Amino acid sequence: MSEQRTGLVSAVSYRDPKAAIAFLEKAFGFELTFLIEDAEGNLAHSQMSYAGSTIMIGNEWSENHASPASLAGKTTQTVHIYIPGDVDAHCARAKAAGAEILMEPANQFYGSRTYRCRDPELHIWTVSADVETVSFAEMEARSGLKIAVGAE
Amino acid sequence: MSSKILVALRIAAPPETVFDAFTDDIALWWRPNSLFSFTPRSPGVMAFEDGRLVERLPTGKVFEVGRVRAWERGARLVFGWRQAAFTPEMDTEVEVRFEAVEEGTRVTVEHRGWDSVPAPHVARHGFPDHLFLQRHGEWWRTLLAGLAGRANSIQLGTAGERDA
Repeated sequence: MSEQRTGLVSAVSYRDPKAAIAFLEKAFGFELTFLIEDAEGNLAHSQMSYAGSTIMIGNEWSENHASPASLAGKTTQTVHIYIPGDVDAHCARAKAAGAEILMEPANQFYGSRTYRCRDPELHIWTVSADVETVSFAEMEARSGLKIAVGAE
Repeated sequence: MSSKILVALRIAAPPETVFDAFTDDIALWWRPNSLFSFTPRSPGVMAFEDGRLVERLPTGKVFEVGRVRAWERGARLVFGWRQAAFTPEMDTEVEVRFEAVEEGTRVTVEHRGWDSVPAPHVARHGFPDHLFLQRHGEWWRTLLAGLAGRANSIQLGTAGERDA
């Protein structure tokens, strides 16, 4: 790779990664930036981008990589999408593209409006936007939780 | 045609500007890669001329990379892509799409047909298929970054002229 890369990137496994790419474009507006396809037309590797972040979409390429669709819907990681705008409109678009809405948009005690959905292969995606600025004291009062920030 | 590489990038300039930068200014933004040389005498200077993409070699010879198969300014460009070592039945093709988006242009390069070049062929440097395509794709990323730089400077120049 020519450019310097530092940071975190999720690589998400699908049984049908090409269908996943089409879904992620339609539902969330991700853009395909890199794709490699072998002689049989199978996807070998791909990357999508959203707001300057990268996500890799791949297949079940080893016995240790599986889609939740192959694991009765269980997943051990979820990806969060932070958007600048209208969470409800985003949710409507995802639903129209075939996402199953697990939690409708709702304001959270920490100042975000959030919804959660599941894609056709049962990966869970959480989408949120900041709607108000909430102090830590106010978060504690609203939630009953003790909030530690920057604790060692 | 299968066995393909796809690379896409957003460039902050209109599709016509990016198309013109791709075709007219290819000598300015092209970045040769010694792993994927067209000929043993490469690199030379790239140019679109007489309906072909060519490399003008330091020896004075002109190597035809491929003929232009579609030329739709601001929308789509398709050309053949051969290395000197390819046999007649080996052929790859590059399709470049220029799509207007909010901030400018989304440029997508699809380079396909690598299945016509067998794995043992010298062009592949002994790389397994996926690794070869990955490396070649990374080169296309470098190339598109060069194109973006060129299109941006044209765009800035045009903006400067408008302000004057």
